[in-house]
Amino acid sequence: MFRTIVPSDTKIDFLRYARPATAVSILIILAGLASALIQGVRWGIDFAGGTEMQVRFEAGTNFEEGAVRSAVEAAGVEEPTVVRFGEPGSGEFQIRFAGGGEGEEKQGQLVDRIRSVLTEQVGPVEIDRVEYVGPKVGEELRRDGAKAMLLAWLLILAYVGLRFNLQFAPGGVVALIHDVLVTAAIWQLLGQTFDLQVLAALLAIVGYSINDTIVIFDRIRELVATHTTVDIHELTNRAVNQTLSRTILTSLLTLLAVIALLALAGPVVFPFTASMGIGVVVGVYSTVYIASPVMLAMERWRGRRSAKRQQATRKHPKAAARA
Amino acid sequence: MRWRVIGVVAAILLCGWYTVANFFPAETRRATALLPDHVMRLGLDLQGGIHWVLSPDLDVALAHELDVLGGGIRAVLEEQKKIEPKRIAVEDGRLVVEMASPAELAAVREAAKETRVLREVDAAEQTVRFVLTDEWTREVRERSIEQVLEVLRRRVDDPTQGVQESIITRQGADRVLIQIPGGQLDREQARGLLRQTGFLEFKLVLDRADTEELLRAKYPDGLPPDTEIVFEREKGLPNQKPEERRILAAYLVKKTPDLTGDFLTDARSSLDNRHGWIVNFAFNSEGARRFAKLTGENRGKQLAILLDRQVYSAPMLNERIGGGRGFIHGRFSSRDAADLAVILRAGSLPIPVQIEEERTVGPALGADSIRRGINASILGLLLVAGFAIWYYRLAGVYATIALVANLIMLIGVMSMTRATLTMPGIAGLVLTLGMAIDANVIIYERIREELLVGKSPRAAIRTGFNKALWTILDAQITTLLVALVLYQYGTGPIKGFAVSLSVGIVTSVFTSIVIPRLLFEYYPGNRPVQALSI
Repeated sequence: MFRTIVPSDTKIDFLRYARPATAVSILIILAGLASALIQGVRWGIDFAGGTEMQVRFEAGTNFEEGAVRSAVEAAGVEEPTVVRFGEPGSGEFQIRFAGGGEGEEKQGQLVDRIRSVLTEQVGPVEIDRVEYVGPKVGEELRRDGAKAMLLAWLLILAYVGLRFNLQFAPGGVVALIHDVLVTAAIWQLLGQTFDLQVLAALLAIVGYSINDTIVIFDRIRELVATHTTVDIHELTNRAVNQTLSRTILTSLLTLLAVIALLALAGPVVFPFTASMGIGVVVGVYSTVYIASPVMLAMERWRGRRSAKRQQATRKHPKAAARA
Repeated sequence: MRWRVIGVVAAILLCGWYTVANFFPAETRRATALLPDHVMRLGLDLQGGIHWVLSPDLDVALAHELDVLGGGIRAVLEEQKKIEPKRIAVEDGRLVVEMASPAELAAVREAAKETRVLREVDAAEQTVRFVLTDEWTREVRERSIEQVLEVLRRRVDDPTQGVQESIITRQGADRVLIQIPGGQLDREQARGLLRQTGFLEFKLVLDRADTEELLRAKYPDGLPPDTEIVFEREKGLPNQKPEERRILAAYLVKKTPDLTGDFLTDARSSLDNRHGWIVNFAFNSEGARRFAKLTGENRGKQLAILLDRQVYSAPMLNERIGGGRGFIHGRFSSRDAADLAVILRAGSLPIPVQIEEERTVGPALGADSIRRGINASILGLLLVAGFAIWYYRLAGVYATIALVANLIMLIGVMSMTRATLTMPGIAGLVLTLGMAIDANVIIYERIREELLVGKSPRAAIRTGFNKALWTILDAQITTLLVALVLYQYGTGPIKGFAVSLSVGIVTSVFTSIVIPRLLFEYYPGNRPVQALSI
């Protein structure tokens, strides 16, 4: 009677896949970490400092990446990164290089020199964007970024702890940290650059991906209250299944918005939209496979502990039954 | 029910009124009373422009302050104690005073003590070294930043530049933020503003009158050779252009200045027993010599003090002013005196500034971004709404109505509060579309579950909305928390993302719960329907 993309009576035993799923996540994070250690992290100029320029050649100019790079080098820039930007054939390039700004004079002159050499060697050029971040500001932005991420995690932990009980909070926060790490690892493995936009996306993911987790936890709580005889493992599976269509639908709708951005919003916000897209998908996965198992593990651990305590005291048989 | 409908419709219409205004140019909006004046500001990444974070070189300012204090100590030693210091210099941020004999150091220490702002760090046989006290260091840094702000403000807002809606403000403890929107100045010109120093001149007044006409009337055969007319104007608002202010007096002066601000080292306001608020200023030794000569030879005349070709005051010269120090009086309020001191200092002390951060966007790229942003928003709306209607049918239509209402309210609220829209902000707006409909998904999935259990449509709707409420609030509050963190720590365009995301979350809680609920009450309402189109 309803149009569905997920049957309403699924009975998938998600928890069975918890272990392999965790292994996959850890593998991705480790791979990202290894890549970061071996190849190094590509920090954007926001964090590393440096200069980033977006230039546009007039239509009809014969523009070659190599020609642009050698022109920039000829202007006195060491090791510039030159990449084509935007639609193919649009004649837009992004030029990025370290430093470029000790002293206001030098930086200004450098940009002018690049412009004139590009005009000379490649063709008439328009400078659409110049971004320069000095070493001091870069350091501050790095520090602020780390602070923002920590604060976001803490606030969510506090909120989930406040609204639910503390046995739920660790599961939620592990899922959050998982989402950020896995998204960042994938971004790193794709060879992309980390800048403020990516940080904003990672933070947005922190706020967004907890939503699904909250819905499942809410449902588990509801089921636990009404089904005292069924064990929590079974109830958790039931909760994940019951909310599955919602979990997938909401993420799908958000993904549609991200797709619209990826398709039309252009290269300027690409780092944000692409990393956001990855994060949304990772969020669904962690909701199903990570958050609930962690919660369950916590529950079992508590159960064992209270059982032990009980054996020692033998005073509260009712509490043991509840646990 | 009726009142709730009226309330919701009124809120949406009000926001819609503001939203629509964003699509009209500013002149049209101002010309008609039919449109509100407030619209969203466009971030520099959308309208193009220059964004700079500058750091003034405060070490230079501190060294300068030490230099001035050293001059003061020299004056005290020479004039009061009648002893010649061997050497007074600023080295490595310290004031070094070297005397001919160790015995004379006591006089130096006494003179330094009188400044109340110097602290001795160490001493050798014939030399003693001072630094500024911590308190005074702070004071000097503070003053220097204010001074840089003042100079830059006057420069950017200079009538010849014709720059509008520029922002020049302090960022953090020791930074200056400059934003010049929309291709009014290219990078070159703007950089010139950072280089060029303030132009302070002292000119003897040859003649004066209340207006230019009256002054010119005195010289029917034309002005004397090498002279010009300058004006003293009413004090105006900081953003008001000088030409718009009323002329108080017109002065005839020589074209070449008798003395320039090049020789000025300091100026500050203070309260004097006889004259009320005054402005003290100090010249370096060369300036002091010239100033003494100028004032000594022209007693009884007026001396016009011009900054960037505007007369700020024209005090009467009463006596020869020696020692390179003097003061200006003229029935100042404390504010006037402080302002004048700032201006004098601004002209006299060009602290070098360094660009710490730059984000400059050309107008073409900005316009391109706006176009792309609008297209992405439309596509996002179509995709999300299309899917919702396909999936939930009538309920999907309700959700879509809520979605459009959310977009209108989001833009409306941002317009009312004159929030800044940036490119990441547009991304946040589109993202909000996808997130706002989450609330409806939560409600509808719940309603479906209730229907499957066998509840009547009416009961299912009621339960669905009631049970979903807290889940929705939880979900949106967590996102809001993160958006606020991002607002706190983000800079520039990223802040715009935090703004549109937070506003979007708040409006979406309202629209996606209230509006579908009202629509469900309207249809099916109390009708005995068999199945719900959901």
